[in-house]
Amino acid sequence: MKRPLLLLALLAGGVSPVLGADAPPAVGVTDGARVERGRAAFVHRCGMCHREGGTGTFILARRLGKEQSMLEQRTNLQPEYIRYVVRWGFVNMPRMSRVELPDADLDAVVDYLTARNPK
Amino acid sequence: MKLILPPGLSSAQFERAMKAFAGVVGDDWVLRTDADRETYLDQYSPGLEESHAPSAAIAPASVEQVQAVLRIANEHHVPLWPISRGKNFGYGGAAPRMPGTVMLDLGRMDRIIEVNEKLGYCIVEPGVGFFDLYEYLKERRIRLQMGIPGNGWGSVVGNALERGFSGMGDHSGNICGLEIVLPTGELVRTGMGAMAGAKAWPLFKHGFGPSWDQMIVQGNYAVVTKLCLWMRPEDEASITVDVKLQKPGDLEWYVEATTPLRLRGVVDGLVRVTSYQASATVPTLRSEWYQGRDSIPDDVIARMMQRYNVGWWNGPIRMQGFADVCEANLKRVQDALARHTRQEFEVRRGPGNNQSGPSTYPLQMVNWYGGRGGHIGYSPVMPADPRLVQEQFERTRRRYLEFGLDYSGTFYIDGRSATNVNLILYSKDDAEQKQRVRKLFLALIEDAKQQGYGEYRTHLSYMDDVAASYDFNAHALLKLNEKVKDALDPNGVLAPGRNGIWPKRYRDQRGKL
Repeated sequence: MKRPLLLLALLAGGVSPVLGADAPPAVGVTDGARVERGRAAFVHRCGMCHREGGTGTFILARRLGKEQSMLEQRTNLQPEYIRYVVRWGFVNMPRMSRVELPDADLDAVVDYLTARNPK
Repeated sequence: MKLILPPGLSSAQFERAMKAFAGVVGDDWVLRTDADRETYLDQYSPGLEESHAPSAAIAPASVEQVQAVLRIANEHHVPLWPISRGKNFGYGGAAPRMPGTVMLDLGRMDRIIEVNEKLGYCIVEPGVGFFDLYEYLKERRIRLQMGIPGNGWGSVVGNALERGFSGMGDHSGNICGLEIVLPTGELVRTGMGAMAGAKAWPLFKHGFGPSWDQMIVQGNYAVVTKLCLWMRPEDEASITVDVKLQKPGDLEWYVEATTPLRLRGVVDGLVRVTSYQASATVPTLRSEWYQGRDSIPDDVIARMMQRYNVGWWNGPIRMQGFADVCEANLKRVQDALARHTRQEFEVRRGPGNNQSGPSTYPLQMVNWYGGRGGHIGYSPVMPADPRLVQEQFERTRRRYLEFGLDYSGTFYIDGRSATNVNLILYSKDDAEQKQRVRKLFLALIEDAKQQGYGEYRTHLSYMDDVAASYDFNAHALLKLNEKVKDALDPNGVLAPGRNGIWPKRYRDQRGKL
């Protein structure tokens, strides 16, 4: 994975977390068990910073506005963007190793955080 | 991050070692892509990340695998850097001291083996985080309290082994027995645990003969695979006095008032007093207050104090225990303060366990300059003497002003000593500012040394400098530490350079960055 190029591609390609599509939120969950596994992994490994009162939530509110600060309520997070930020870090988001969040758990977190995206 | 090999190891030798490691932990747990290496770099690096770049990571899942990994490391001369969860932010994070070192990531060993409510202890593996232990206690309604540091994301074991502390005091002081793997692979239990079938391992610290627990803390003599930690029974009540001191010079009388209280056990835990800036660095950006590249001036400080209704110095005095004892001790605290000020401080009465749980909330401070930020701390230990503490603060603040950085200081007052944590915030993308940070840090080491004060813990990039400041009898302690190192770790495979202790094989790396 070529880091700088990927980031440029993500930001230029219309998948910036700032730019949500104007579509109805929350459609059905495609794979309940996998999403539930993702929720558990998210709470366990990401929740310290990215739930209510967490430092990630505060910094995102500062950068993108309060309505975009809670990852679990977002409807515009793209799978590749989540994978990139987790493994390479972004601004003050620390990188997470494959020991802390194994690939399979990351896949499940991606499913969980994108389940509300308009299909 | 590109591959940097360990010093003296060829690419072919490295590949052979990786294959041997995979034979123990499985291919999936030898992590060596560019992204894998990147995840172990120092997140808040104040300098070149390459100076502390790992070459790969090995993640064992059991004590037996740790032993096997160490034997292979000896056979192939591969240096390893053990981490618990790698959240030692401000001190190097997960990263190793020497470039090319292979991470020994113990995060998969994350069992809470035992929590004993009646006798007040837990036995945990390195991968257990503060959040995990906190949830475990909560779910089972176990009435024990744990010391939780400012960054609650990290490992209970890793924090204790770094001498981390919280309002409840020094966490390494609560260690009561370790299970360790020596650099050559032998398994040892310390203290009472040295007896097969021991019943009092987590209960009595010393066992029979020399006590090894503190030899392992902040050292590189062994990999810790289990740690027994004393926990505090939940108290009946707590009382907190929220102290706000209006002037920088009030620190002196405050130390005079509180040190005897702490020495006699009237107040609970360390008495923390922090400068005004902490109230602003977390919720706001620096640019909202001041645009200059020099230190924040006094008129801006006054505005911060006004907006957040804080003093120049702020901090809690805490009493915990039986309700009637807390009330009696509150009277003693108020009497001691009244001898120095007419100011009245807010008193809060709360439950015995008044902790809010692990949090990463304070980490927001790294966003102070906007963009990618970092912090390091310079933290010398000194006497809890009122005049000396005041002078230490004034000398340190003058240095911050000299190098154009924003002062942020905390004193943790114990009965005898005071630990002065000086926080230095910076932007990772401001090279000129980072140079000033380095100059400030080295000046602070030198200043403290002149006074006879030394740091209790430091960042990877300053370990050799701080170790050198402990120089009685021509660095006799460092020589002893390295004599022990060479005896236990003849091939120098375990954490070379940690806290300035270099094995013979890599001694020429001392001071290199």
